[in-house]
Amino acid sequence: MGMGRRTGFWLPVVIIFFWGLAVLVLQDDTLREKVFTLFMFVGLASSLNLLLGYSGYISFGHIVFFGLGGYSGFYLISQHHWSIYPAMLAGGVLSATLAGLLGLAVLRLRGAYFALATIGINEAARALVGNFGPFGGATGLYVNFATYQQYGGAGKALWLTFILLWLTILIILTVSFMIKDSRFGLGLMAIREDEDAALVMGVGAARLKTLAYMFSAFFPGIIGTLYFFKNGNVEPGDAFQLQMSIEMLVMVMLGGQGTVLGPLLGAVTYQGLRGYLLTSPIFKNLHLAMAGLILLLIILFVPTGGIGWLRERLPRLRKVLE
Amino acid sequence: MRPKSLVGLVVAVILVMAKIMWADADTSKTRTVVIGFTASQTGKLNVEGTRQINGLNLWIEQVNAAGGIKLPDGTVIKVAAKFYDDESSKSRVQELYTKLINQDRADFLISPYSSGLADAAAVIAQQYNRIMITAGAASDSTHKKGYTVVYQTYTPASRYLTGAVDLLAGLDPKAQKIAIVYEKDKFCTDVVNSLTSYAKQQGLQVVLFEGYDSGTTDFAPFINKIPAKVDAVMGGGHFADTSTLARQLYEKKVNTKMIALLVAPPEDQFAELGDAALGVIGPSQWEPLVAYTPEAANSLNIAWIGPKAGDFIARYRSKYKEEPTYHSAGGYVAGLLLEKAINQSGSTATAKVKEVLDHLDIMSFYGRLRFDQTPAGHGLQVGHDMVYIQWQQDAQGKLVKQLVWPEAVKTAAAQPIKAR
Repeated sequence: MGMGRRTGFWLPVVIIFFWGLAVLVLQDDTLREKVFTLFMFVGLASSLNLLLGYSGYISFGHIVFFGLGGYSGFYLISQHHWSIYPAMLAGGVLSATLAGLLGLAVLRLRGAYFALATIGINEAARALVGNFGPFGGATGLYVNFATYQQYGGAGKALWLTFILLWLTILIILTVSFMIKDSRFGLGLMAIREDEDAALVMGVGAARLKTLAYMFSAFFPGIIGTLYFFKNGNVEPGDAFQLQMSIEMLVMVMLGGQGTVLGPLLGAVTYQGLRGYLLTSPIFKNLHLAMAGLILLLIILFVPTGGIGWLRERLPRLRKVLE
Repeated sequence: MRPKSLVGLVVAVILVMAKIMWADADTSKTRTVVIGFTASQTGKLNVEGTRQINGLNLWIEQVNAAGGIKLPDGTVIKVAAKFYDDESSKSRVQELYTKLINQDRADFLISPYSSGLADAAAVIAQQYNRIMITAGAASDSTHKKGYTVVYQTYTPASRYLTGAVDLLAGLDPKAQKIAIVYEKDKFCTDVVNSLTSYAKQQGLQVVLFEGYDSGTTDFAPFINKIPAKVDAVMGGGHFADTSTLARQLYEKKVNTKMIALLVAPPEDQFAELGDAALGVIGPSQWEPLVAYTPEAANSLNIAWIGPKAGDFIARYRSKYKEEPTYHSAGGYVAGLLLEKAINQSGSTATAKVKEVLDHLDIMSFYGRLRFDQTPAGHGLQVGHDMVYIQWQQDAQGKLVKQLVWPEAVKTAAAQPIKAR
């Protein structure tokens, strides 16, 4: 069945479309900022899901692609005066290329070994960037406020950044569904269930895994460029936060790995929960510990996440909840 | 209606109208300005962020208790604070400052603690043309981005350790060699890059320039590279690593005339290092020992604002049951600056307050404050100087903190490190 006729495809896309449209119509700056943060996490979680959800490979250091892509895009804007449009694409392409090269090596590892390697990559990238002169070393890079003038001023530039992120999220959801609905996705899911059996059945595991890794790295590179462009500066400490990697994992697992709607649901739920925990007098210093506990409980009791649980319990919803 | 009744009615209406007009006039004389900020109540900057906000809240309490800010036209400005927890996270800062401006209608902004968070907030302040005082941010780069409404209270990172070079020249005019070992993060790198340039300008040789990663606990590889007969060791990073570096410099018997390190030495806990702390010098934005006075302001022909140091310390201690630090002083002074600018401009309008801030040259218990007015570095702090403390022994052999620089406020002369 074509994806155009599938409710499961339209549901997340329609949610995000109208959500973003509502922000644009209301022209409320405060709402825009709040939704920007939320969309950013939806995008990052959905990107991770392309690898984790479909192929079962757990990347603990996936934030490296947000950091490196963001750094590269921001470098082009601040040092070479590129416009945000090509710069964000360049950030994405560089992230994907790097993932392709790294994937050739680390995707040979499985399970915990792969997860450990991804943490190592993130830490190595942080150390590299912190010593890399063109990226400003430990002091990072910044843009002059006048840079925003070419977009009609800082106010319009912030709206433009929001719109670009919104469109990026819509593309990520579409790509996520297309992969899930394709032969490529079927191959990835075969790898997830039993990689050796998939190999025996003729699935080109190495090529498919690398491609999935590249797709899942491309979008964080774009999101990173948009985020740092909006912030006006980038530093190694902000770009490679391992904590964000763990939060991305929690979001995917919470919503439902291997589903299109799951990361969206997970990101929104986690952000709401995080807001509550951080303002709660009891939990405010324990929010990461709580995130870890949630992850543990999900893995133990609801390994398929929220959407997976609903699909199992309510078969009628399977067509709607992809 | 009888004429008497008509007269009575007219008189009553006039009285009511007069009452309403009087009430209106009375209200128009009192206004409330909202000062918006985020406080790092959770996350890694919790301690410093909370101290900064304590200082600011003390100023708000005092200014309101004194009846508000009185403008020349008789209007009284009361101050209200509106703040949120930024979780020490950049991803929250822009969202919250946008909310402070648009929903809470903040008239003025105070930055969060740390250069990274202040940088993120400054973009929003400039975008909405709201004056922001960066209370706890030392980065120079924030003020090189073309902002026109952002003003810094801290001495910038580029001048954090340059005074130590002048101090070294005073300790030993023949000093030639310095070794720099520093934490490789934005703040420390900014500090040591400027230190290196200044040292070279002064004819010193930088014989070692080594950065270490955040979280380093073993400094032996760096200490072993320090050449013999080096005149000073400078650098460090944040509290934990700087304290460890100082201890290991002592354990490895590094003999030098001066050790000047960032962040940790001014903290009271640094004395717990015992002999390893003896002689170590550290820069600080402000110390309770500093005695800037109205007389000092007079001698410079500039205005004095706010309480004397003793008053500030006593009130802070009484309210929070702890000693104020430079973070607390920075928060308080951010409020004082706004008070002075609003009062002098006679207005709360951004353009008028900005005009005053641009040309302000004043002194308070915190020191002198003046801002760069050039487009290349607008708002950068150019009036305030770091003070340098040194851990020395008193008559009983107990470790005490002494101010050794600048000359105008020092409580003791700097001493060379004893042979180890």
